[in-house]
Amino acid sequence: MKHYEILDAKTKDKLCFLDKVEPNATIGEIKSMFHKSHPQWYPTRQSIRLDAKGKSLKDEDVLQHLPVGTTATFYFRDLGAQISWVTVFLTEYMGPLVLYLMFYFRVPFIYAAKYDFTTSKHWVVHLACMCHSFHFVKRLLETLFVHRFSHGTMPLRNIFKNCTYYWGFAAWMAYYINHPLYTPPIYGEQQIRLALVLFLFCQIGNFSIHIALRNLRPPGSKTRKIPYPTKNPFTWIFLLVSCPNYTYELGAWLGFTLMTQCLPVAFFTLVGFIQMTVWAKGKHRSYLKEFRDYPPLRSPILPFIL
Amino acid sequence: MKTTHGDVAARKKKGPGALATAYLVIYNVVMTAGWLVIAVGLVRAYLARGSYHGLYYSIEKPLKFFQTGALLEVLSRVFLTWAVTHSVREVRRRLLFYFHFEIIIGYSFNTSSWLNPLRYTFFFALYPMGVSGELLTIYAALPHVQKTGLYSVTLPNKYNFSFDYHGFLILAMVSYIPLFPQLYFHMIRQRKKVLGHVEDYSKVE
Repeated sequence: MKHYEILDAKTKDKLCFLDKVEPNATIGEIKSMFHKSHPQWYPTRQSIRLDAKGKSLKDEDVLQHLPVGTTATFYFRDLGAQISWVTVFLTEYMGPLVLYLMFYFRVPFIYAAKYDFTTSKHWVVHLACMCHSFHFVKRLLETLFVHRFSHGTMPLRNIFKNCTYYWGFAAWMAYYINHPLYTPPIYGEQQIRLALVLFLFCQIGNFSIHIALRNLRPPGSKTRKIPYPTKNPFTWIFLLVSCPNYTYELGAWLGFTLMTQCLPVAFFTLVGFIQMTVWAKGKHRSYLKEFRDYPPLRSPILPFIL
Repeated sequence: MKTTHGDVAARKKKGPGALATAYLVIYNVVMTAGWLVIAVGLVRAYLARGSYHGLYYSIEKPLKFFQTGALLEVLSRVFLTWAVTHSVREVRRRLLFYFHFEIIIGYSFNTSSWLNPLRYTFFFALYPMGVSGELLTIYAALPHVQKTGLYSVTLPNKYNFSFDYHGFLILAMVSYIPLFPQLYFHMIRQRKKVLGHVEDYSKVE
């Protein structure tokens, strides 16, 4: 049985004294106890560390396995208001789905009044609407049924940032694709067909990777394992790439750009690619750090290139 | 979009290396000269014409050159070092529009940090002056932009893209309402921090 005190990481004020704590207790339990004495700091907004400027300890960490001395001191930092990942994903994906359809159906006050509730005469515009809607319905369903998130929550301000990004870009793209003065792709049917093949191939690929990643992790767990190719040929890309979900995502948006021949879509694809590359490099680095035997042939997002 | 749950790594405060410092000094000297050229050109054009009309076009070429240079500065700052005292925001704001007297003084002050007390105090007056100058210039340019469709792209076109420079400028002017106070107060906070430091050093003597 040990005693622990929790200090504020910045001011070093004594916030909480915990006595009679079992040595096999976890950080998660410490957080619950701390929450009782400070109800405004629910567990997900607590960052508990051994060192005031150090890394956050994990909920699963067991106290007796931690390098604490006789004076068991933890430092606390408030992570700010938190919101669940699922909530953020559902909200940020709902926007593009609904907004795009509003532009597709030419709801009043977007285009000139004479076009209200009319539909485009170009069949590629209908195809684009189906593809865009399919993409976001897929994302919503994956959020609800496929993904196993490592973290329960993220900072609340992220929902405003993320929704601005997704909703803003969706409206910007949809405005032009569904515009009465929209110009269809230069190379017509050939271009659209190639684009559709690429788009569908990458949607299936992206979904296959999501399933493969889900299967690495038993329900309710946060374990991390090296992903490997499975029987599904769409997962064989794991031989060359650490984050093929991002590779396929890029491919799908390149397909959509080609299909619509719309510059705002190209911008969205580019910005998304930059962000996904940053994430992929981070993930790749974590894999390398955590696993000695990580396959050396793999690149973060683009085989051999990036 | 995801972010990592938990803390952002503490920014390490390290001084810029010798090469980086040399680059920054030379760069700032060149930028000072450039903005000086533009300012002088503007004043001369104004005196010659007696009005604001057509002022922009008298300095358009050097302006474009030095604004591109300012863009490079943003990139170089981001890549070179976090430890340089000017915030990236300050530079980004400078990129926004034309007329910046305070930049001339600012760049000349960049060449030596002991001028910081002067620089930060000058800014109290110069920031609002500079901002008013910018806003007036944009406002004066609006009718011309609307009439000529400058930098604007209309539909239909094969890229399915459009851009209304006139609307963009109005949006930019409106964005000053939230942005300027933030930058101004950030500057005041920086001043307190930097000048507080200077006073500490003199006490140690």
